Amino acid sequence: TSLIRVVQFPLQQHVKAKLEKAVIENKGDVLVFSLCIESVLGKADYNHNKVNQWTAAIVEQSLTHLVKLGKTYKYIVTCAVMQRSGAGLHTASSCFWDTTTDGTCTVRWENRTMNCIVNVFAVAIIL
Amino acid sequence: MSEQPSLELAPSTQVTAEDGTEAPQPRATRRGSQPTAPSRGAEEGKAPQLLSRRSSVLSTLLGPPGSRRSSLGAAPGGKRPSVGPWLLHSRVSFTGLPLFQPIPETHLENTYRMRPEEGCRFNAGRVQRVLEGALAGVLGGTAYSPQGSTVLVQSLAELLRSRAKEVVPPRYKLVCHVLLGQQGQQSMLVASRALWDPESDSFASASFFNASLFAVATVHGVYFE
Repeated sequence: TSLIRVVQFPLQQHVKAKLEKAVIENKGDVLVFSLCIESVLGKADYNHNKVNQWTAAIVEQSLTHLVKLGKTYKYIVTCAVMQRSGAGLHTASSCFWDTTTDGTCTVRWENRTMNCIVNVFAVAIIL
Repeated sequence: MSEQPSLELAPSTQVTAEDGTEAPQPRATRRGSQPTAPSRGAEEGKAPQLLSRRSSVLSTLLGPPGSRRSSLGAAPGGKRPSVGPWLLHSRVSFTGLPLFQPIPETHLENTYRMRPEEGCRFNAGRVQRVLEGALAGVLGGTAYSPQGSTVLVQSLAELLRSRAKEVVPPRYKLVCHVLLGQQGQQSMLVASRALWDPESDSFASASFFNASLFAVATVHGVYFE
């Protein structure tokens, strides 16, 4: 007879959240977001009149994709589209959250005339 | 040309959550005695039957994957201090290795609050004023430089986050995003969209222009249920 008692605990909420965070930061999602951007911007040239609807479309499609994942997260998606003119650009973000359950994902995309940076922040809700 | 360091500050998250916020649950760091498998087997005849059961419970409890720390810590040569554990640690296993008591994981009680209290919302106007003041103060006399701007933008993000943290009510998680660029002849658009509870969550943004640079800062505040 064994003296070992194997106890099974149900997955606790915070452990589940950590697993979900790993999914969010999975590099596979980066590919999906780049495809979102590609489908909207594609081979277009920077057009000041159209850039509004482009960014709206990119952000909307990214958010839809995130919602389809079906996790208990709040999402923030930011998109910056800039005309390529040789000027430099730096971005940084600082977050006050629970590092074990919340995560972020960044996608950079560019073509001949413009740069696009999409940031996705996922903030967990503990139910 | 563009860099994206996004900083997740684990230590400050724990430290600044003292103001009544329901702190994000502290990570459970558990150190099991290193040779759990053999000790379990060989300890049948020994007095610590209690010990074997405890170690078995420890090893089956779910924890952060891959974070088991060796109880010895960094001992590259594998040298065991001969008298050390007996002096330093109250419990020593039969192998002479120190046994650490399991650190109890603190589970915070449910506060059953799903929405912020009345009057305790994210005040977008106030945060925007704070952001504008901070941006003008830091970037007032600065010129754009490729090397310096990297550090500048990171420190600016942290500064804005700490300033926003002061004026935001507790139980709010903050995401602060800063874009700093060289002022050229280009055009740029920054957009953001979020999936959240519009009654409790909001954002504030501010921008600053200079002869040589421009900066756009956004702070999103998300209520932590």
